[in-house]
Amino acid sequence: MFKRLSHLILAAMIILSLALASGCSSKADSASTKQKDELTVAIAGEPDDGFDPTTGWGEYGSPIFQSTILQWDKDLNVINDLATDYSVSKDGLTYLVNLRKDVKFTDGQALTAKDVVFTYQTAAANSSVFDLTNLKSVMAINDYSIEFTLKEAQSTFTSTLAKLGIVPQHAYSKDYSQKPIGSGPYKFVQWDKGQQLIVEANPDYYGAKPYIKKITFLYLTEEAAYAAAKAGQVDVASVVPSLALQDIPGKKLVAYKSVDNRGIMFPYVKAGNKTKEGDPIGNDVTSDIAIRKAINMAIDRKALVNGVLNGHGAPAYSVCDNLPWWNPETVLKDADQDGAKKILADGGWIDSDNDGILEKNGLKAKFTLVYPSGDSVRQSLAIAVSDEIKPLGINIEVAGKSWDDIKRLMHSDAIVFGWGAHDPLEMYNLFNSKYMGVDYFNAGYYSNPKVDDYMNKAMLSNNVTEADAYWKKAQWDGTTGFSALGDAPYAWLVNLDHLYYVSDNLDLGEQKVHAHGHGWPITDTIAQWHFTK
Amino acid sequence: MNQLNHALSLEEKPRKIIRFNRRQSTLITILSGLALLTAIIAASFLMSDEAIKTHFEARNLSPSWQHFFGTDWLGRDMFTRTVKGLSLSIGIGLLASTVSVIVALILGMAAATLGKTVDTLISWLVDVFMGLPHLVALILIAFALGSGAKGVIIGVACTHWPNLTRIIRAEVLQLRTSQFVQVSRHMGKSRIWIAVQHLLPHLLPQFFVGLVLLFPHAILHEASITFLGFGLSPHQPAIGVILSESMNYLSVGMWWLAFFPGLSLLVVVRVFDMVGDNLRLMFDPHSAHE
Repeated sequence: MFKRLSHLILAAMIILSLALASGCSSKADSASTKQKDELTVAIAGEPDDGFDPTTGWGEYGSPIFQSTILQWDKDLNVINDLATDYSVSKDGLTYLVNLRKDVKFTDGQALTAKDVVFTYQTAAANSSVFDLTNLKSVMAINDYSIEFTLKEAQSTFTSTLAKLGIVPQHAYSKDYSQKPIGSGPYKFVQWDKGQQLIVEANPDYYGAKPYIKKITFLYLTEEAAYAAAKAGQVDVASVVPSLALQDIPGKKLVAYKSVDNRGIMFPYVKAGNKTKEGDPIGNDVTSDIAIRKAINMAIDRKALVNGVLNGHGAPAYSVCDNLPWWNPETVLKDADQDGAKKILADGGWIDSDNDGILEKNGLKAKFTLVYPSGDSVRQSLAIAVSDEIKPLGINIEVAGKSWDDIKRLMHSDAIVFGWGAHDPLEMYNLFNSKYMGVDYFNAGYYSNPKVDDYMNKAMLSNNVTEADAYWKKAQWDGTTGFSALGDAPYAWLVNLDHLYYVSDNLDLGEQKVHAHGHGWPITDTIAQWHFTK
Repeated sequence: MNQLNHALSLEEKPRKIIRFNRRQSTLITILSGLALLTAIIAASFLMSDEAIKTHFEARNLSPSWQHFFGTDWLGRDMFTRTVKGLSLSIGIGLLASTVSVIVALILGMAAATLGKTVDTLISWLVDVFMGLPHLVALILIAFALGSGAKGVIIGVACTHWPNLTRIIRAEVLQLRTSQFVQVSRHMGKSRIWIAVQHLLPHLLPQFFVGLVLLFPHAILHEASITFLGFGLSPHQPAIGVILSESMNYLSVGMWWLAFFPGLSLLVVVRVFDMVGDNLRLMFDPHSAHE
């Protein structure tokens, strides 16, 4: 009797809690549809160091609180933002910029040339992700014009001008990164570290006024963001391909094309040397060009896109697919096992002891491919490539490591890296012999004098068309280059599509091809975001 | 008479079939438990690696006759992965419990026989290790050794001895005061002779039962530490790794990724527990004759 009673109570409790739960979620639904000028989004992108552009904020996507001197339109043409016009001297060493005169910081003070000078000097002193080592001096000519002088000509300097947000000199202090003030489309309200960022539209913004009055950025994990989108609690959620399998009522799945690529970096030199820190450099197997070319040829990139990314992506053939400085000749015919086998045989790799793995002069075709252990896409790519390559007789062992470990291993082991920027400077950093062993850039110690020469010429050029022509030649000039047709220091695999669940009636504006970094770059058009009904 | 006999035999027959005596049923439990565990290890060696390679054409399949436990997002067969993961866990568990038992035996006997200072020192060590949350100690050791299989194995192996040390120490203290030990000592036998001849035989049951009962602990700790991301690479088929990976896919409804491996872990741990309990029944002088 008593047992029965307790069962009844239990059943009643379950029903009650279910009713409560459904009641809660329907409340959340009605809340998000009612307020048309407020948004809650979960697109990650929380900076470790706060919102100070001089230490790296705004590298990916818009700095939203600050504004930049130049910006890109959706076709990646450079256009003005704070500038009214700019000019480059003939030798490419001096940039003269004139500023608009109607720009105010959110504290009411005007933005003048001295703020720009201050920003660039602070950023140069901080030696952040914005590389300003080439900047010789920056000078205010009057209140609204600035002169930048470079040490060497650098045709990509406009990219820096388009990325570095201007900070106010009068309001800059140690805790600026925690409470930023700027002149961007949105102003800072509140930041709860690890939880949320709240911003409000800047009523004094000089550009087109943003439609959405208030935006709350929730910092959720991938799964939590997905769950929140499903529950109707957020209007925009970034989502990884493996989760983007289902339709969510009231939401559309939006895929933005990107140059956010993933590829395998091969150590280019033979083993033997060590870095200053004592980490090994070079790898005897991957330094053999036959190995690198065969892998490039054998990989089935379409299968990777369909298998690992659920079709949300595109095959990648270079670091800058479809950008203005990309050389389309670098698209190669892949998934060609026979061709790859021939390259290996011609290169002297033979399976002499019949164990399924090739040898050359007693050296087994075996190397380690490292991926960052928290990244499920790179993990899947590494495993899939290893399995695709095995029939060739090349044994790729995969290993998941932390970024700290990868820093020590990246000169001697192959690594699954991801790049992709709106700036040919990235290409320069990755493949120039000057950058051998510098940060994550040319980690494989690639060098080719001819490539160096083309890229230096591109840098020295003061005309975009000419510069792009040299960038293309550096990739492949018919005989050599850093693409898979030439020296193949990388095997590029895929370009990711950046996926978002977006409320049906929300318009996110016209996005340009996204750069590396999934989530925050969508804020690039933040001032255009609006509800359609 | 005949009828009566018939009835009797009828009554006796089912008895004979169903009822083993206590000892037999204990033995059967132990043997079938061990058989299951050996079967898992053997299976993991026999299964080819082909099934845990990527098969894009067979991604995200729910359980079927072809894939008992379904497949994951790379088309890897979850049954094979689970069996391989379990056998890795059992291997680590075996190593860890062996090491722990040996350490416990040595320390426990040393504490009880080598005088006051040694006893204080060892008791203090036991207290320190038992005072520290177990998982924290594990993570510390695994991290200090540079995460990887090595760190996990050494970490799990080096943190499971304190409990057993305490038990063995108490047992030895009790034995030392028993009459046959006193007699031996007064007759001039050396400490080592007494330890080997008198103490060890009494400790053997503790040793074996401790060995088996440590297994489930070690396995669960191995699974939890790999679940937390210390230790093995995320693509290796360890049970903790499989479970933590599958957490990401629960929200899209791929329940089988977590359910079957978790259930298997539970079953294996329970089997070890049962084997241990039954072993104790057989070895323990108080219950051995029941």
